[in-house]
Amino acid sequence: MTAARIGIGGPVGSGKTALIEALIPRLTASGVNLAVITNDLVTREDAERIRRSGLIDPARVGAVEAGACPHTVIREDPTMNMVAGDEMEAKFPGLQLLIYESGGDNLASTFSLDLVDWWMFVIDVAGGDDIPRKRGPGVLRCDLLVVNKIDLAPHVGVNLPRMLDEAQAVRGGRPVLATNCRRGDGVAEIAAAIDAAVLFRT
Amino acid sequence: MINLLHTVWQADSAFPSGSFAFSGGLEAYFAQAPAAGAVALTHLMRDTLAQRWASSECVALAAAHRAGADLDGVAAADFALNAATLIEPLREGSRRNGAAFLAAHDRLGTQGAARLRAACRSGVCSGHLAPMQGAVFAALGMDLSASIAAAGYAALAAMVSAAVRLGRVGAIEGQRALASLLPLLVGIAAAPPPVGAVPEGFLPLLDIAAARHARAAMRLFAT
Repeated sequence: MTAARIGIGGPVGSGKTALIEALIPRLTASGVNLAVITNDLVTREDAERIRRSGLIDPARVGAVEAGACPHTVIREDPTMNMVAGDEMEAKFPGLQLLIYESGGDNLASTFSLDLVDWWMFVIDVAGGDDIPRKRGPGVLRCDLLVVNKIDLAPHVGVNLPRMLDEAQAVRGGRPVLATNCRRGDGVAEIAAAIDAAVLFRT
Repeated sequence: MINLLHTVWQADSAFPSGSFAFSGGLEAYFAQAPAAGAVALTHLMRDTLAQRWASSECVALAAAHRAGADLDGVAAADFALNAATLIEPLREGSRRNGAAFLAAHDRLGTQGAARLRAACRSGVCSGHLAPMQGAVFAALGMDLSASIAAAGYAALAAMVSAAVRLGRVGAIEGQRALASLLPLLVGIAAAPPPVGAVPEGFLPLLDIAAARHARAAMRLFAT
């Protein structure tokens, strides 16, 4: 195993798949040899969406069933994901980055460091500006907290600067980035964070 | 005492083996049996244990356990189970489960696990869960009866866990079903399959359910 493995967790609908779709062209343009493994909860919709995106060779997108437990497959028992990652690395020699997308869970969801080297947690402003204050383990323990859909803040009554300040506060100053993945806002900063954290290119 | 503790360790559903992701056809069965609950689960678990696991998976486990470090013997047991598992989704699920089980033991550094993984990757072995359990449990020093008890218990516990997560039985009901089948498992563990036994199993209800499940657009479990 040589590829760096990173995780993207967060509640259903927060924009994890959209973030991956935004990251793939940036990372591949900078020469990163990558693959994706999704943990769809009920369907294979996320995997199929990425396969059909035209952004990546469909063979580089794997799917692992979560057995109704999206947190188990990334934390208590990550062996199915480990095997999927090992097989992906065997299939694509020279792979540098393996991205695991969680099936989506609540704020208590965290990645096992047996599975990934670094992980981010994606929340969105439409989920409520009280999410950081609830201090879920996902929010607190991730290496990078992503607050997505910032364009929706004025439409859902969210004070975005206050939400970001509270996120910084509960995380003790550890990284927080704001994004609008659909437009690509903030995605370059996330790609740079991945570069620095696990690819060691910056 | 270490034999007992190894048995508990390997039977424990907290041991990461990938088993939580497989329902063995239960998900599809429950989908077409809206009234089925604890009674149906108990019957299905008993039938699975008596009509498939004891005569199929357990036979392969015992043969691999007896083979121990003899890779050819383990591979023979493995391919015999592969040939006897006619339903493709169950066959593939058993191999994926075996791969996850070996991945955990490989990372733990269990003796022989890395060699077995390499054999699976190269096609020397097929990699089904039961024979991989047999070979690994032998390497851990577990005797055959204890190995059968651990693997059989893990198989039953996985069914209960799946049924609970599918919302068809409560946590207590599930444990009642599991407890009621322990005497049957004791009998299987006390009389291991004879040398030379050939895996064979027939459980049409869950076989058909598993085959249907593989074609379902929406599903929670791998099988």
